[in-house]
Amino acid sequence: MNRERFISLVRAEQEPLRRFLLTLCDGDAALADDLAQDALVRAYVASGSFLGLSKFSTWLFRIAYNCYIDHCRKARPDRTSVEDAIALPSDDASDASFRYQQLYQALERLPQKEKAAIALFYFEDRSIQEISAILGIPSGTVKYHLSQGRTRLKQHITR
Amino acid sequence: MNEIDKYLREHKPAVKEDPTFLLETNRRLDAVEGIKAEVDCERSRGRVALIIALAAGLAAGVLLTLLLYLYPVHSISADGRFLEHTRLLLDSWKQYLIFPVAALAITLGLVLSRDRRKTVHL
Repeated sequence: MNRERFISLVRAEQEPLRRFLLTLCDGDAALADDLAQDALVRAYVASGSFLGLSKFSTWLFRIAYNCYIDHCRKARPDRTSVEDAIALPSDDASDASFRYQQLYQALERLPQKEKAAIALFYFEDRSIQEISAILGIPSGTVKYHLSQGRTRLKQHITR
Repeated sequence: MNEIDKYLREHKPAVKEDPTFLLETNRRLDAVEGIKAEVDCERSRGRVALIIALAAGLAAGVLLTLLLYLYPVHSISADGRFLEHTRLLLDSWKQYLIFPVAALAITLGLVLSRDRRKTVHL
Protein backbone atom coordinates (compact mmCIF):
# COMPACT_ATOMS: atom_id res chain seq x y z
CA MET A 1 0.00 0.00 0.00
CA ASN A 2 1.50 3.32 -1.00
CA ARG A 3 1.39 6.46 1.09
CA GLU A 4 -1.32 8.24 -0.92
CA ARG A 5 -3.64 5.26 -0.62
CA PHE A 6 -2.89 4.98 3.08
CA ILE A 7 -3.63 8.66 3.69
CA SER A 8 -6.86 8.51 1.70
CA LEU A 9 -8.04 5.54 3.80
CA VAL A 10 -6.98 7.28 6.99
CA ARG A 11 -8.84 10.45 5.98
CA ALA A 12 -12.08 8.46 5.96
CA GLU A 13 -11.30 6.71 9.24
CA GLN A 14 -9.74 9.45 11.33
CA GLU A 15 -12.90 10.66 13.01
CA PRO A 16 -14.19 7.23 14.14
CA LEU A 17 -10.68 6.28 15.20
CA ARG A 18 -10.23 9.42 17.29
CA ARG A 19 -13.70 8.98 18.82
CA PHE A 20 -12.96 5.35 19.71
CA LEU A 21 -9.74 6.34 21.44
CA LEU A 22 -11.41 9.33 23.08
CA THR A 23 -13.90 6.95 24.67
CA LEU A 24 -11.15 4.56 25.74
CA CYS A 25 -9.20 7.47 27.24
CA ASP A 26 -12.26 8.62 29.21
CA GLY A 27 -12.53 11.92 27.38
CA ASP A 28 -8.85 12.90 27.39
CA ALA A 29 -8.75 14.31 23.84
CA ALA A 30 -5.03 15.09 23.81
CA LEU A 31 -4.09 11.58 24.88
CA ALA A 32 -6.58 10.07 22.45
CA ASP A 33 -5.09 12.04 19.54
CA ASP A 34 -1.59 11.06 20.59
CA LEU A 35 -2.54 7.40 20.62
CA ALA A 36 -4.31 7.82 17.28
CA GLN A 37 -1.11 9.24 15.78
CA ASP A 38 0.91 6.36 17.23
CA ALA A 39 -1.58 3.89 15.83
CA LEU A 40 -1.38 5.48 12.38
CA VAL A 41 2.40 5.33 12.38
CA ARG A 42 2.31 1.68 13.44
CA ALA A 43 -0.30 0.95 10.79
CA TYR A 44 1.78 2.65 8.10
CA VAL A 45 4.91 0.72 9.09
CA ALA A 46 2.92 -2.54 9.04
CA SER A 47 0.85 -1.65 5.97
CA GLY A 48 2.81 -4.16 3.90
CA SER A 49 1.33 -6.92 6.04
CA PHE A 50 -2.26 -5.77 5.46
CA LEU A 51 -3.61 -8.40 3.07
CA GLY A 52 -7.14 -7.07 2.79
CA LEU A 53 -8.62 -10.13 4.52
CA SER A 54 -10.50 -7.80 6.84
CA LYS A 55 -11.73 -4.24 6.37
CA PHE A 56 -9.04 -1.59 6.62
CA SER A 57 -10.93 0.08 9.46
CA THR A 58 -11.11 -3.19 11.45
CA TRP A 59 -7.37 -3.65 11.03
CA LEU A 60 -6.69 -0.03 11.99
CA PHE A 61 -8.93 -0.20 15.05
CA ARG A 62 -7.18 -3.34 16.21
CA ILE A 63 -3.83 -1.56 16.00
CA ALA A 64 -5.31 1.43 17.84
CA TYR A 65 -6.68 -0.83 20.56
CA ASN A 66 -3.25 -2.43 20.95
CA CYS A 67 -1.71 1.04 21.25
CA TYR A 68 -4.19 1.85 23.99
CA ILE A 69 -3.40 -1.40 25.82
CA ASP A 70 0.35 -0.68 25.56
CA HIS A 71 -0.27 2.80 26.90
CA CYS A 72 -2.25 1.41 29.86
CA ARG A 73 0.54 -1.01 30.68
CA LYS A 74 3.04 1.79 31.01
CA ALA A 75 0.56 4.38 32.22
CA ARG A 76 1.89 7.05 34.46
CA PRO A 77 0.51 6.96 38.00
CA ASP A 78 0.05 10.72 38.00
CA ARG A 79 -2.61 10.69 35.29
CA THR A 80 -5.48 13.02 36.11
CA SER A 81 -8.71 11.14 36.54
CA VAL A 82 -12.09 12.36 35.36
CA GLU A 83 -13.09 13.07 38.96
CA ASP A 84 -10.07 15.38 39.33
CA ALA A 85 -10.81 17.00 36.03
CA ILE A 86 -14.25 18.07 37.22
CA ALA A 87 -12.62 20.35 39.74
CA LEU A 88 -10.67 22.10 37.01
CA PRO A 89 -12.19 25.10 35.30
CA SER A 90 -13.37 24.18 31.83
CA ASP A 91 -14.26 26.26 28.81
CA ASP A 92 -17.13 25.49 26.46
CA ALA A 93 -14.87 24.16 23.78
CA SER A 94 -13.69 21.32 25.97
CA ASP A 95 -15.65 18.67 24.15
CA ALA A 96 -18.99 19.91 25.46
CA SER A 97 -17.47 18.47 28.57
CA PHE A 98 -20.32 18.69 30.96
CA ARG A 99 -22.64 16.63 28.80
CA TYR A 100 -20.11 13.82 28.67
CA GLN A 101 -18.64 14.00 32.14
CA GLN A 102 -21.10 11.54 33.60
CA LEU A 103 -20.55 9.13 30.71
CA TYR A 104 -16.76 9.34 30.94
CA GLN A 105 -16.85 8.93 34.71
CA ALA A 106 -18.91 5.79 34.30
CA LEU A 107 -16.71 4.48 31.47
CA GLU A 108 -13.59 5.04 33.55
CA ARG A 109 -14.83 2.45 35.99
CA LEU A 110 -15.19 -0.24 33.34
CA PRO A 111 -12.48 -2.79 32.58
CA GLN A 112 -10.67 -2.14 29.27
CA LYS A 113 -12.41 -4.83 27.23
CA GLU A 114 -15.89 -3.86 28.40
CA LYS A 115 -15.19 -0.22 27.67
CA ALA A 116 -13.86 -1.05 24.21
CA ALA A 117 -16.82 -3.32 23.44
CA ILE A 118 -19.29 -0.62 24.52
CA ALA A 119 -17.45 2.05 22.51
CA LEU A 120 -17.36 -0.05 19.36
CA PHE A 121 -20.91 -1.32 19.61
CA TYR A 122 -22.72 1.88 20.59
CA PHE A 123 -20.53 4.68 19.30
CA GLU A 124 -19.03 3.10 16.18
CA ASP A 125 -21.94 0.83 15.23
CA ARG A 126 -19.70 -2.17 14.76
CA SER A 127 -21.08 -5.69 14.51
CA ILE A 128 -20.24 -8.34 17.10
CA GLN A 129 -17.97 -10.07 14.53
CA GLU A 130 -16.06 -6.89 13.86
CA ILE A 131 -15.66 -6.20 17.59
CA SER A 132 -14.47 -9.76 18.00
CA ALA A 133 -11.81 -9.20 15.32
CA ILE A 134 -10.73 -5.84 16.76
CA LEU A 135 -10.43 -7.02 20.35
CA GLY A 136 -9.13 -10.46 19.41
CA ILE A 137 -11.71 -12.33 21.47
CA PRO A 138 -14.51 -14.74 20.50
CA SER A 139 -17.99 -13.38 19.67
CA GLY A 140 -19.50 -14.98 22.78
CA THR A 141 -17.00 -13.14 24.96
CA VAL A 142 -17.85 -9.86 23.21
CA LYS A 143 -21.52 -10.38 24.04
CA TYR A 144 -20.60 -11.14 27.64
CA HIS A 145 -18.49 -7.98 27.90
CA LEU A 146 -21.29 -5.92 26.38
CA SER A 147 -23.79 -7.28 28.84
CA GLN A 148 -21.45 -6.76 31.79
CA GLY A 149 -20.59 -3.28 30.59
CA ARG A 150 -24.23 -2.31 30.26
CA THR A 151 -25.00 -3.58 33.76
CA ARG A 152 -22.07 -1.68 35.26
CA LEU A 153 -22.88 1.50 33.37
CA LYS A 154 -26.47 1.35 34.53
CA GLN A 155 -25.22 1.27 38.10
CA HIS A 156 -22.96 4.27 37.58
CA ILE A 157 -25.10 6.45 35.38
CA THR A 158 -27.96 8.17 37.09
CA ARG A 159 -30.21 10.15 34.83
CA MET B 1 -31.45 -2.30 29.41
CA ASN B 2 -33.29 -0.23 26.83
CA GLU B 3 -32.73 2.85 28.91
CA ILE B 4 -28.97 2.41 28.99
CA ASP B 5 -28.98 1.56 25.28
CA LYS B 6 -30.84 4.78 24.57
CA TYR B 7 -28.54 6.77 26.83
CA LEU B 8 -25.43 5.44 25.10
CA ARG B 9 -26.79 6.05 21.62
CA GLU B 10 -27.71 9.60 22.61
CA HIS B 11 -24.30 10.30 24.11
CA LYS B 12 -22.04 9.37 21.23
CA PRO B 13 -18.84 11.32 22.05
CA ALA B 14 -18.18 14.22 19.70
CA VAL B 15 -14.70 14.66 18.28
CA LYS B 16 -13.52 18.19 17.70
CA GLU B 17 -12.60 18.85 14.10
CA ASP B 18 -8.85 19.18 13.94
CA PRO B 19 -7.38 20.20 10.58
CA THR B 20 -3.87 19.76 11.96
CA PHE B 21 -4.43 16.08 12.72
CA LEU B 22 -3.64 14.85 9.22
CA LEU B 23 -0.81 17.35 8.89
CA GLU B 24 0.72 15.87 12.03
CA THR B 25 0.16 12.37 10.62
CA ASN B 26 1.97 13.38 7.44
CA ARG B 27 4.80 14.87 9.45
CA ARG B 28 5.21 11.62 11.39
CA LEU B 29 5.02 9.56 8.22
CA ASP B 30 7.80 11.71 6.75
CA ALA B 31 9.91 10.82 9.77
CA VAL B 32 9.06 7.15 9.30
CA GLU B 33 10.05 7.32 5.63
CA GLY B 34 13.36 8.88 6.67
CA ILE B 35 14.03 6.11 9.15
CA LYS B 36 12.98 3.45 6.62
CA ALA B 37 15.37 4.89 4.04
CA GLU B 38 18.17 4.98 6.60
CA VAL B 39 17.52 1.38 7.68
CA ASP B 40 17.38 0.19 4.05
CA CYS B 41 20.62 2.00 3.30
CA GLU B 42 22.26 0.48 6.38
CA ARG B 43 21.05 -2.99 5.41
CA SER B 44 22.28 -2.76 1.84
CA ARG B 45 25.63 -1.43 3.07
CA GLY B 46 25.84 -4.39 5.47
CA ARG B 47 24.96 -6.82 2.69
CA VAL B 48 27.61 -5.42 0.35
CA ALA B 49 30.19 -5.51 3.13
CA LEU B 50 29.28 -9.09 3.91
CA ILE B 51 29.60 -10.14 0.26
CA ILE B 52 32.94 -8.35 -0.07
CA ALA B 53 34.19 -9.91 3.15
CA LEU B 54 33.07 -13.36 2.02
CA ALA B 55 34.69 -12.98 -1.38
CA ALA B 56 37.88 -11.62 0.18
CA GLY B 57 37.93 -14.44 2.70
CA LEU B 58 37.48 -17.07 0.02
CA ALA B 59 40.08 -15.51 -2.24
CA ALA B 60 42.58 -15.22 0.60
CA GLY B 61 41.88 -18.77 1.70
CA VAL B 62 42.28 -20.16 -1.79
CA LEU B 63 45.43 -18.13 -2.35
CA LEU B 64 46.95 -19.26 0.89
CA THR B 65 46.10 -22.89 0.25
CA LEU B 66 47.62 -22.67 -3.21
CA LEU B 67 50.73 -21.05 -1.85
CA LEU B 68 51.10 -23.76 0.76
CA TYR B 69 50.77 -26.43 -1.89
CA LEU B 70 53.02 -24.79 -4.45
CA TYR B 71 55.68 -23.57 -2.08
CA PRO B 72 56.00 -25.98 0.81
CA VAL B 73 57.56 -24.32 3.78
CA HIS B 74 61.26 -24.89 4.25
CA SER B 75 61.74 -23.64 7.68
CA ILE B 76 64.70 -21.70 8.64
CA SER B 77 65.46 -24.22 11.26
CA ALA B 78 68.59 -22.54 12.40
CA ASP B 79 67.34 -21.71 15.79
CA GLY B 80 65.33 -24.46 17.06
CA ARG B 81 62.19 -26.39 17.10
CA PHE B 82 59.47 -23.75 17.29
CA LEU B 83 59.51 -22.97 13.60
CA GLU B 84 59.81 -26.62 12.77
CA HIS B 85 56.79 -27.43 14.88
CA THR B 86 54.81 -24.60 13.34
CA ARG B 87 55.71 -25.74 9.85
CA LEU B 88 54.64 -29.28 10.63
CA LEU B 89 51.42 -28.10 12.13
CA LEU B 90 50.57 -25.89 9.17
CA ASP B 91 51.61 -28.63 6.82
CA SER B 92 49.29 -31.17 8.33
CA TRP B 93 46.35 -28.72 8.61
CA LYS B 94 46.85 -26.67 5.49
CA GLN B 95 43.73 -27.99 3.77
CA TYR B 96 41.61 -26.47 6.55
CA LEU B 97 43.31 -23.10 6.61
CA ILE B 98 40.64 -21.65 4.37
CA PHE B 99 38.08 -21.75 7.17
CA PRO B 100 39.80 -19.62 9.81
CA VAL B 101 40.98 -17.19 7.14
CA ALA B 102 37.48 -16.83 5.73
CA ALA B 103 35.97 -16.47 9.20
CA LEU B 104 38.52 -13.82 10.09
CA ALA B 105 37.83 -11.89 6.89
CA ILE B 106 34.06 -12.02 7.43
CA THR B 107 34.36 -10.84 11.01
CA LEU B 108 36.67 -8.04 9.98
CA GLY B 109 34.28 -7.05 7.20
CA LEU B 110 31.31 -6.96 9.58
CA VAL B 111 33.17 -4.95 12.18
CA LEU B 112 34.37 -2.42 9.61
CA SER B 113 30.95 -2.05 8.01
CA ARG B 114 29.43 -1.03 11.36
CA ASP B 115 31.98 1.55 12.29
CA ARG B 116 29.76 4.58 11.96
CA ARG B 117 26.10 4.75 12.75
CA LYS B 118 24.24 7.91 11.99
CA THR B 119 21.86 9.26 14.62
CA VAL B 120 18.28 9.46 13.40
CA HIS B 121 15.86 11.97 14.92
CA LEU B 122 12.10 11.42 14.91
